[in-house]
Formats: sequence, structure tokens, C-alpha cells
Amino acid sequence: MPARADAGYRLHRLLAVLTWLARQGRAPVTELAERFGISPDELIADLELAACCGLPPYTPDQLMEIMVDDEEVVANLGPELARPRRLTAAEGFALATAARAIEAVPGADPDGSLARGLEKLEAVLGQPDRLRIDLGEPPHLAELRRAVEAAEQIELGYYSVSSDEESLRVVDPVSVVALDGRWYLDGYCHRAGDMRRFRVDRVLSVRPTGKTTPGRARGEGSEALSDHRAGEVGEAVFVPGPDATVARVAVDDAGLWLTDAVPTLGLEPLPDGRTVVHLAVASTVWFDRLLLRLGPHGEVLGPPELADSGRRAAARLLARYRTPVPERS
Amino acid sequence: MVDRLERLTDLVLVLLRDDRPKPLREIAAEVPGYPAEGEARRQAFERDKRTLRDGGVDVSAVPIEGREQVGYLIRPEDFYLPDLDLAPDEQAALNLAVAGVHLGDPSGRDALWRLGLPASAGVQPFADLTALPALPVLYDAVRRRVTVTFDYRGDARHVAPALLRFRGGWWYVVGFDLDKEASRTFRVDRMEGQPSVGPPGSAVVPDDFDPEAALPEEPWRMGGEEEVVGVDVLVDAGLAPLVVAEVGEATVHSRRDDGAVVVRLEVTNVAALRSWVLELGEHAEVLAPDGVRAGMISWLEATAAGSREAVD
Repeated sequence: MPARADAGYRLHRLLAVLTWLARQGRAPVTELAERFGISPDELIADLELAACCGLPPYTPDQLMEIMVDDEEVVANLGPELARPRRLTAAEGFALATAARAIEAVPGADPDGSLARGLEKLEAVLGQPDRLRIDLGEPPHLAELRRAVEAAEQIELGYYSVSSDEESLRVVDPVSVVALDGRWYLDGYCHRAGDMRRFRVDRVLSVRPTGKTTPGRARGEGSEALSDHRAGEVGEAVFVPGPDATVARVAVDDAGLWLTDAVPTLGLEPLPDGRTVVHLAVASTVWFDRLLLRLGPHGEVLGPPELADSGRRAAARLLARYRTPVPERS
Repeated sequence: MVDRLERLTDLVLVLLRDDRPKPLREIAAEVPGYPAEGEARRQAFERDKRTLRDGGVDVSAVPIEGREQVGYLIRPEDFYLPDLDLAPDEQAALNLAVAGVHLGDPSGRDALWRLGLPASAGVQPFADLTALPALPVLYDAVRRRVTVTFDYRGDARHVAPALLRFRGGWWYVVGFDLDKEASRTFRVDRMEGQPSVGPPGSAVVPDDFDPEAALPEEPWRMGGEEEVVGVDVLVDAGLAPLVVAEVGEATVHSRRDDGAVVVRLEVTNVAALRSWVLELGEHAEVLAPDGVRAGMISWLEATAAGSREAVD
């Protein structure tokens, strides 16, 4: 994290350190530094400065009582500094959202500690219960979360959109994460021989193999968090590399929802009022379905090998509609 | 030269100490580090006030007797919260919540700092919710019952917001649209610029307004203002379990021997339904009613022909 060394931020951090110290009385320098995400040297400098602060006439009895040595901080700061301080709108929102998001996950707050904490907080903030977080609950979510907790290897039945195939594969689950409203399982896929990300709502079945997962570091999967916006490809974490096919699709106003629905690499206006959307194509199946949804509101300008994708996909689907459906209801 | 952090810390302590507003002259005499006189001192103080305000600490300016006419103080209610009295397990749970849910900015951590509950590092995040700059403004508006005004798809909208909701990866605000005199749901990411808020108490909604009912649950009911029509969709065996999990067992109209299902959906937005069915590719088909099926076929014919003419 880049240092935010401006005075406002340092004051905010210092007041937080003082609040913590006012409650704890003493704390090891390294622990305090770690909690507040700063180096021990920075922490000591801020505390030495704080020890010179207080009230006029700034005689020793009016200064904050803080003693710092290399190992430990000892403070006697009185009850006022220990009090919780008012939250900004952004902070109140962030805290309530985090708590509500956890509450939305079945089984995530088994003893109700969070619900009680949130209730006390909302009582003090005067916030009515006007925040709803819905992370969704696909059928196999609870089983997968349990498998991660218990480090159980599983056999996963999975529908992959990118290949339009159902498959069975052995997976060492690492984590289950909700990203932008969808649940994903990150795990080591024995079929692929690598880490893979699976959409939980496309999991068809979960069966424990009876083995525990090898000692893969917990948290390995979280590395992928920063990459998750790369694309909806159903399976592997997808980051468009230099070799990815980039399609250019012209859309009219009725097709502009595309820019909300998929990660785009760039937009440019056309003289006829349409917009050219550049997007990375990781899977032709996925691209075909996108074009079906765009229908007459989208036109592939390039590359040439994708130019007919939408027309061909529509023709294939039309063939289905032209085949009589048995026992039409 | 006094470090600015030291000056700010002393300033907070001095302004908090008394409930009597103090003129700048007195403040500067008590807080070391301000320029001796005049405009430079005023500017340094204004800058400190701004820094404090940006950090969530409001310095109140109050009219006073005497030459300077304005005095300053930090009101305890602007600085402190009433004691939360959180039990250790409740503190730990709030800590874990903030560590586990990413909002794209450090506001959650800042909140814990202000409450005196600094988080310990090393918790694996498990949810990432899109952060948008309008959200805290809207949340605060809901809480304080004030109206918001914002530009939305080219129109200025004037709304009494009642509920914030995250669903399917999007944030929505549900409110009573004061111009249309009806319940409306808005995607927060489609608001243009920051919403502006009205005066306290400005958000008055009719008694029978129920924000919980205002947000339809299914995409084919969202934004649709058409008559409700029951649409039958045939889904092949492979995707049937996933689709039934999504739309609910109650929508299953019939099951075929080969494992395929027919679901009957209550649709008010046929375009949204079409998009949903097409996401299933060649594994799903609209069966009935004839009008909706014919609409799908002409959509596909236009797409297959590469025609750019609108079909609907």
C-alpha cells in the first residue's frame, strides 16, 4: 500500500493508535505497528510527537503520558481518548455493508456475534435497516464452503460455458469467494494440473473423494482476487494476454448494455452514431451467445474469422426452432 | 518549526476541551505552531479546519460576543459516538466482516480505527462488492430521510430514497420518484455524477409505499411495464438442474423423460426474457405463447441475416 503521508491521514491514524492505547494501556511496538499497517519507526516517531501534545500550558502534567522504548509502548491516556469516534457516511456505509454481506451468507455467523454487534452499531448510528445485500445462494454453495473449511478434496461436476461441456474433475478447493455478485470456487484442478476458478452456479454435483487436500497454503486463491474482473469465461481465471483475440463489435443504442455486461478494452464512436466496443474473446461459445443477445443491435467488425459468428449462431438456433417440438405444451 | 501533525493534534484536544467557542486569537495563543498574526494565521487555521473536516472531524463556527465575532469548537456529539459497549466476540465479528468484505477503498478499516477496533491482518477476503462514490451519499440520504437529485439516462430525477440493495453484482436504490409519483428502482452505477441531497426531512413518501416490494426479483420482471404473460421455456437435461436452481422449483411446469424441463415464467419484460434464454445458447427454447415464440424466431432470423433493422 502506498504511504499516505499527508497530515490529515497521519492525524487519523494517530488518533486511532491513541484510542487503542487508551484502552489497552500497553502494547508491543511490533504488534501495534502491524495492526495499523505502518513501520515500527514511523509508529515510534508519531508517538514521540504525540507525547509532546496536550493542553496549555503544556507542562508535563498536561501532556499525553506516553512512554516508548524499542519494544513496548506504555500509555496512560484517560477515558476520553478511549471513546469510539463518530463515523463518516462512507465509514458507516462500509461497516454496515460488510456486516450485512457476511450475514447474507448462510452459516457465516453461527453464534450471532455479528448480528448483535451490528444491532448495537445501528442503534448508535440511528440507522434504520435499509440495506440489503444479496450475494445469491447457488445450490452447492454450503457444501463447497464446508469442503474448503475441512480441506476436503472433491469431485466436481461442472458445466463449462467456454467449452459448452459437462465434466467431472477432482479439485482441491482453496477458497470460495463472492465477486461482484457471483460465487466462485478457487481450487487446484487435477484435470488441468493448475489452479482454476469455477462459477458455483454452474456446479452440477459435489462428491467428497475421502482425501484431504495437500497442504496448499490457505490464501493462495486470494491472489486471484485482483484479476477477477477480467472476463466471464466460466472456468480459468482469464486475463487477456497479448495473444487474446480482441473483437470489435459495433452496437447501436439498444445494444449499449454490452458495455455494462462485459469487461471492455475500449470504446470508440462511429460516424453513424453507433459505438465500437473492443472486447477480449476467450471462448467462441461465450462470444456466440453474447452476439445472440445483441441480435440486430450488434455487428462484428473484426477480426474476419469472427465476423460471421453471430449469423452462424443464430442460424443454428433457428434450426432448433424449426424442428417440431415433441409434445408441445 | 512545529510539525503540522503536532499542531493538528493539539488543536483537536484544545477545541474538544471546552464547550465554550473560542476566537481564533485565543486558539492561536494556546496551540503552538500558528503564524504570529494576520492573514497567514487565518489561512493556516482554515487549512487545518479543512483537513479535520476531510478526516470526519467537524469544527463548528459559532457567533460570539466581542471583536472577533466568531468562535470555534468541536462539539462532543460531532466527535464521539455514544459508547457501543461491544462484547469481545462482537468486536471480533465486526473485525472479521471488514477484513472479509472488500469494498475497494479503506473506509471499513477507517471505521474500525474510529471505533478503536483495529483489525488484525491476515484474513482472507471472501467477498468483493463494487464500490461506487454515490453509495455513501445515498446511504446517508436514506438514513436521514432526505431527497436526492441525480441525472439518469439524460433526465434529472428527484427521488425520496428508501432502500439500498446489492444484487447480481449491481447496486440499486429503491425510492419514491417525486415527479412520477411512483416507486422506481435505479442502478447506482448509471447515475451521472454525484447525487445532490435535499434538506432534512424532505423525503416524504406515501404511507403505502413499500420499498421491499419495489424491486422485482427476476430479470424478466425488471424494468418491464408490460402485462404479465406466462412464458414456457424448454431447457435441455444438461442445464436443467442449474436453471431450476436459479428460477425455483415452483416454476417447473413439466419434466420430460430425457431430463429436460419446461419452466413457466411470469414475464413483464419480454426483451429481458429473450436475453436470458439466449444466454443458454442452443440448450433452451421458448415454447409458448405463440407470440413470444414468434418474436424469438424473428429476432433470430434478423440476427442470422445480419440485418440491422430493429425487431421487436
